[in-house]
Amino acid sequence: MRCYKKIGEAWNHFFFTGFSGESLGLLRMYIGCGLLAFHTYQFATVLSLKPLGSMYYFIEPIWYFQLLGIHYHIPALSFVIYALLMGATITMIMGKWTRSSILIVILCIFYLKGVRDSFSGDVHHRYIIPMQMLLLFLLSKCGQVHSRDANRKVYPPVQEWEASWPIKTIQLYVALFYFWSVIAKVRVSGWEWFAGGGRIQEVLIKRSVRWGLTGEGELVKNSLSFELAQHPELIQIFSHLVLAFELGFPLILFIKAVKLRALFLAGVITFHIATFVLMDVNFLLIPFVYLVFFDLVPIHSWLKARTAHLFTRRNSVAC
Amino acid sequence: MSRRTITCLLVLYWIVVWAAVIFRIDYFPLTWVPMYSVYAPSDTISAKVWDKDQYKKGLKVTHRDGSISYVSYKDLNIPKPNFRRLYYSRIFGTAPPKHKQGNTELGPLNRWIRGLDKGELYFSVDWEWRMFWTINKTLGHEPPDPQFIIRMETQHQKRIYRKADLFHGHTSKFELITNHALIEWKDSWVPRWEHALL
Repeated sequence: MRCYKKIGEAWNHFFFTGFSGESLGLLRMYIGCGLLAFHTYQFATVLSLKPLGSMYYFIEPIWYFQLLGIHYHIPALSFVIYALLMGATITMIMGKWTRSSILIVILCIFYLKGVRDSFSGDVHHRYIIPMQMLLLFLLSKCGQVHSRDANRKVYPPVQEWEASWPIKTIQLYVALFYFWSVIAKVRVSGWEWFAGGGRIQEVLIKRSVRWGLTGEGELVKNSLSFELAQHPELIQIFSHLVLAFELGFPLILFIKAVKLRALFLAGVITFHIATFVLMDVNFLLIPFVYLVFFDLVPIHSWLKARTAHLFTRRNSVAC
Repeated sequence: MSRRTITCLLVLYWIVVWAAVIFRIDYFPLTWVPMYSVYAPSDTISAKVWDKDQYKKGLKVTHRDGSISYVSYKDLNIPKPNFRRLYYSRIFGTAPPKHKQGNTELGPLNRWIRGLDKGELYFSVDWEWRMFWTINKTLGHEPPDPQFIIRMETQHQKRIYRKADLFHGHTSKFELITNHALIEWKDSWVPRWEHALL
């Protein structure tokens, strides 16, 4: 009985404390801004197609396309959905019709991701974290603070527990996302994945050679990856670093010092930049979700003060 | 929503998310395998070399009337990276990573849940049939048409490096092999033509 009580207390302490309604509203705004760039980057290939060109029949439709009987791509529709997605993301940032906007964003992502991943059957995982965030925003009261909706209607103040649970759930999900990555590697390939850095070396070579060679016999792209692949002792260190950071990611939930937390995340961002540059692993923009590990109220105040200062100076110059 | 409802919702959420991890469910927005996980140690590393000009030209196809032409990403109106996967992988019968991850080391529990017999794969796709269905359907060719594609071919080079050589910095030592894929239409596929990808 005491054990249950302790678990309950720990649960309540973790999920229901730590953030204000203002923090939640600001997180919605800042994540929305990140999503604007993220959507464009993710769906750029779909937008490179001819709107009135051929309607491609998918070789391997994603599971929900199979369920709904969507077998081919209507290119013009993708452009319309993309415009809708961007519009809904902007209204989500503004907090205008917040819930409806988030729902539209979710549906548009489902459609466009479905299209992108059904062309050749390669399913990417880059939208998993943003999608979890949007689902939790949808259920939360994020539209009741820092929003147009709040200007139109008077809401009761968002309590600490109401603001904290979506943020803490997202934090935990992001931390586990990296932790599950280790579990998956060990389940599928065993510790061999990390031992000797074999997998990393393999990807480095494959990704550098595949673009071919110039007339002089030089690699067209990624020559740095090829160079690195010839240093197994260095790769071994990297593979241990990958293991340490993926296993240790949940520790961020226990780091109280903001600077230390920022340092840890800077390391993770470096990892994503390195895997993008050296291995073409395209998680480059995903770090925008790390905003969830910070209380955005002081950051926003600081930014607002800076912007106000610039704005005033411009006005004075104009006068 | 009350605090009690939210607690129930969170419990349900985490049960679903963890169930996906334990039972290896990889259906968006759930996943158990966020990043690259499949690795089979070997003494060699085989690396495909993309030929930009060749894949820009497209797949070499033969029509029912005997004529030969090329089908490119522009004809299919799909992004270049996706066409590359058709050109270098699917036509060779190579499945995407999701399938490889889903089939590797599934374990007795997950095999039992999916009702798989010994040796049976969870993801098993007849890529030859799909290539013909996808490309012909996109280009508007039906099986009786003279323009219907009955043969597709492509080739690429592969470099095979020995890890032992790489450890000693011998990057110029590799074996160059050419992989050639040639797939042909089977008239036994006609009955399933109108049933999409079944």
